[in-house]
Formats: sequence, structure tokens, C-alpha cells
Amino acid sequence: MPENEDIARRIELEIDRALKRNIRGLDFLIADREPVGTMPKSAIYRSGTAVLYRYEPVLDEVYRKPLLIVSPPSNRGYIFDLAPGQSFVEYMLRRGYDIYNLDWNPPRRDEAELGLSDYVNRFLPESLAAIAGITGEKGISLAGYCMGGTLAVMHAALHPKAIRNLIAFATPLDFNFMKLFQSWADKRYFDVELLVSKLGIIPADVMLGAFDLSRPANRTAGRMTLWNNMWNDDFVKSYRMFDRWAAETLPLPGAYFRELITQLMWENALANGTMEIAGRRVDLSRITCPILNIVAQHDHIVSHEATRPLMEMTGSKQRHEIVSKGGHVSLVAGPAAVKRLWPLIDEWLGEKST
Amino acid sequence: MTISAFDPIAAWQKMIQDWEAEINAWSGRLTESEQFSAVLGQTSKMIVVAQKAMTEQLEGLLQSLNLPSKTQVEALADRLDSIEDSIAQLRIALDKLANDGTPTPVKTEPRRTRVPANKARKD
Repeated sequence: MPENEDIARRIELEIDRALKRNIRGLDFLIADREPVGTMPKSAIYRSGTAVLYRYEPVLDEVYRKPLLIVSPPSNRGYIFDLAPGQSFVEYMLRRGYDIYNLDWNPPRRDEAELGLSDYVNRFLPESLAAIAGITGEKGISLAGYCMGGTLAVMHAALHPKAIRNLIAFATPLDFNFMKLFQSWADKRYFDVELLVSKLGIIPADVMLGAFDLSRPANRTAGRMTLWNNMWNDDFVKSYRMFDRWAAETLPLPGAYFRELITQLMWENALANGTMEIAGRRVDLSRITCPILNIVAQHDHIVSHEATRPLMEMTGSKQRHEIVSKGGHVSLVAGPAAVKRLWPLIDEWLGEKST
Repeated sequence: MTISAFDPIAAWQKMIQDWEAEINAWSGRLTESEQFSAVLGQTSKMIVVAQKAMTEQLEGLLQSLNLPSKTQVEALADRLDSIEDSIAQLRIALDKLANDGTPTPVKTEPRRTRVPANKARKD
């Protein structure tokens, strides 16, 4: 049984937290958006929706091979650079990497016809050319998160010589295992043509609705947990950054969305080996560079099985897999990523970047 | 401070976690059924058609009130984006010209000779 003194201290603590909750709760409601993406960077290539940033190196000596991170077209790239101390970019810059990020702006209506081939065969090669212009390096380390990873893998399969190392964060390749999206976009009932022809650009709400469907209680439970932890500045800051990132989901070009549904979801063309980009077959066995496949233990969007082709169908002799604690988003910037995953990535990539 | 008795805050937190897990599991089972896909597909179709019809109706109304419609505002936003895009491309091109073909070089370009610490120690 706790002693009276302990109980008194606990009551005091809870009263203090309750007061802080109320004061900071009001602050939270009127606060500006949490600043994100704070590492200095500059745009070195831009073409409509595509923007390539270079982060300013922080060391005088960097690894020879640059690292390009491809963001998913439906989300902002600052998930890799949330805040000082919670930024993969900051960590890797301090470990001596020269880092680039292919990020996306909301597509304009005249970009509704952009398809997978524009992403894989235009924006990516043009980004590599811009990086080569600065560094003089032809071979680079290519990384991608979620669908950004899928685009990176397709590019690596089509242009294997340009890629020195390949890192995939929660990257879906076998879409038969994207269970929720399979139900949501069921071929028998989902009229993708109607959606694309009527809307042109697919609004972010469509994608957000699909994500919410997979975890309908998350938003409410998240708010309740936030209220409990309102006294904790670090928790509130982190919550607001992730919340902002999720709310800033981007719209998608209709043609890209159509191909995503018909070729990847319905035909599972990538895993079946029938995927074609601009008339060329995307053959995963052509990828022979070292591969690092990073999956989240509790990912409700991209299951471990959905990432398997990277470990089973590629031609690489050096394939390494890390199953990290956390979910689809915390995989990249959560506490387990900061403590364990990032050092492992550095250890794996450093020796291959000279 | 060690308290092993009933902790209302911890109990509340656990209740939230259990509730979240239960609702999510229930949703997971529901979304796996064919009926769910059928209802969702039909609903999505109806929402798109209804939205389109409503947009057209509203546009007519806004036009009669001499106010810009959503389509016109979107067109304006697209033009602004397009101008922003062109300015960004011009800046990159100018940087290239000013720096012998290299876009926005950092103040001092770092040496690309780094080796991992463990490898350097071995050498």
C-alpha cells in the first residue's frame, strides 16, 4: 500500500499536470503550425510538381556517393526532417552524407495527365542529372519512402547502372498484400475511370479517407492521449508535427492514380513481372546493387509481405532487412528510428558510399 | 516514488488503448468483406456525381452574383503556381550560369573523400 506521503505527492503532481493541461490546452488551440523541415536547403531542380532539394552539407568532408531520398507523391518530404533532434536528414548530414530530396508540390490541373512513367522516367533521371552536375558522381544511393520507394525501385530496375545502393522504407511492391487498399479499390465496385474523368486531380481527401478507414479510432484516441500528455512539451510538439504532416496529404494526378489502381492494385503487375513503363518491362531481377529493406513491425498500411519482392525477386547478392519497432510513419521519425534505426542505416550505407 | 495501488491515469490510458485496438480490429474485419467494398464503391461514385452536380449548380449561382467560382479560383492558383515554377526554374538557370554550370553551390563545396570511422581506423 502506498504511504500517505506518496499519495500526497501524487495528488500534487496530478494537480500540477491538470493545470498545465488547461493552460497548454488553450495554447494548443490558438498556436501557429509547428515549424518543420528546418535544415537549410535549396531547390536545384524544379519541373511542375517535382522539386529537388539539396540540403547544405554540415561537414567539410562527405562521402563520395550522394544520397537521394524520394518522397511519396501523396506526402510532403519533411517527414525526413521534422525538427532538430528528430530529423533523419540532420542525423545523416552530421554523419557525413551529401543529401538530396525529391519532393512534390500539389499538382496543377494541367498536370492531371502525369503518369508513373513521368515520375520514374522523367523526374527521377532529371534529378540524377542535376545531382551529377553538382557532384560529378554518376552512381548514387537511392532511397524512397512508401510509394516514393516503389518509384525508386522501378527506376532502379529500369536503370540499374545509375544506382549504387538502394534503401526502401515501408515500400509496397506486392500489392496483393495491401489488404485495406484492395478492399477500398475492389475491381468489381471501384470506378476509377469515373473518379479520374470527373475530378482530373484526385483530392487529398480521397487518400486521407482510405488511411482513416484503416484505423478509424486513431484520430480520436490520438486526441485523448494528447490531452493526457498536454503537460509534456515534447509529446505535444511531436504530436503537432506528425498531425501537421498527416493533414498535409497531397492531391494526386489522375493518370498516376489510375495506373496505381489498375496496374499495381488490380494487376499486381510489379510483383507479377508484367509492369511496363514507357514500353519497357520493369524487371526486378535487374537490380543488382546492395539493398536495404526497412519495414515497420506494426505497419497497418504496408505489411511486411508487401515488401518481400525486394528481398526475393531482385538480382542483388547483398540484401539486408531491418524490421524496426513502430508503425508506418513512426518508422521514419519515431523514437525507435532516432535511437536504433538511423545508426543502423549509417553503418550499412557508410561503407558503401566511398 | 513507488505507487503500486490503483492508478486512475494509467487505467484511463489503458482504456483508450484497448478501445482503439478494438475499434480498429472491428474495422479491419468489416473492410475485408465484399459487401463493404460494394457499399464503398457505390458511395464513392454517388459522392463524385453529387459533388460534380453541386459544383455546376453553385458555379451558375456565383456567376449570376458576379462572384468568382471555385473553378476560377483554382485556375488562378494554377497560374500562380505556374509563375512560381517559372521563377524557380529561372533562378536555378541563373545560378548555373553564374557558377559554371553548377546550380546553387554551397558556400564551400565539401571534399568527397570521407570513409567510415571503422575503415579509417583499420587503414
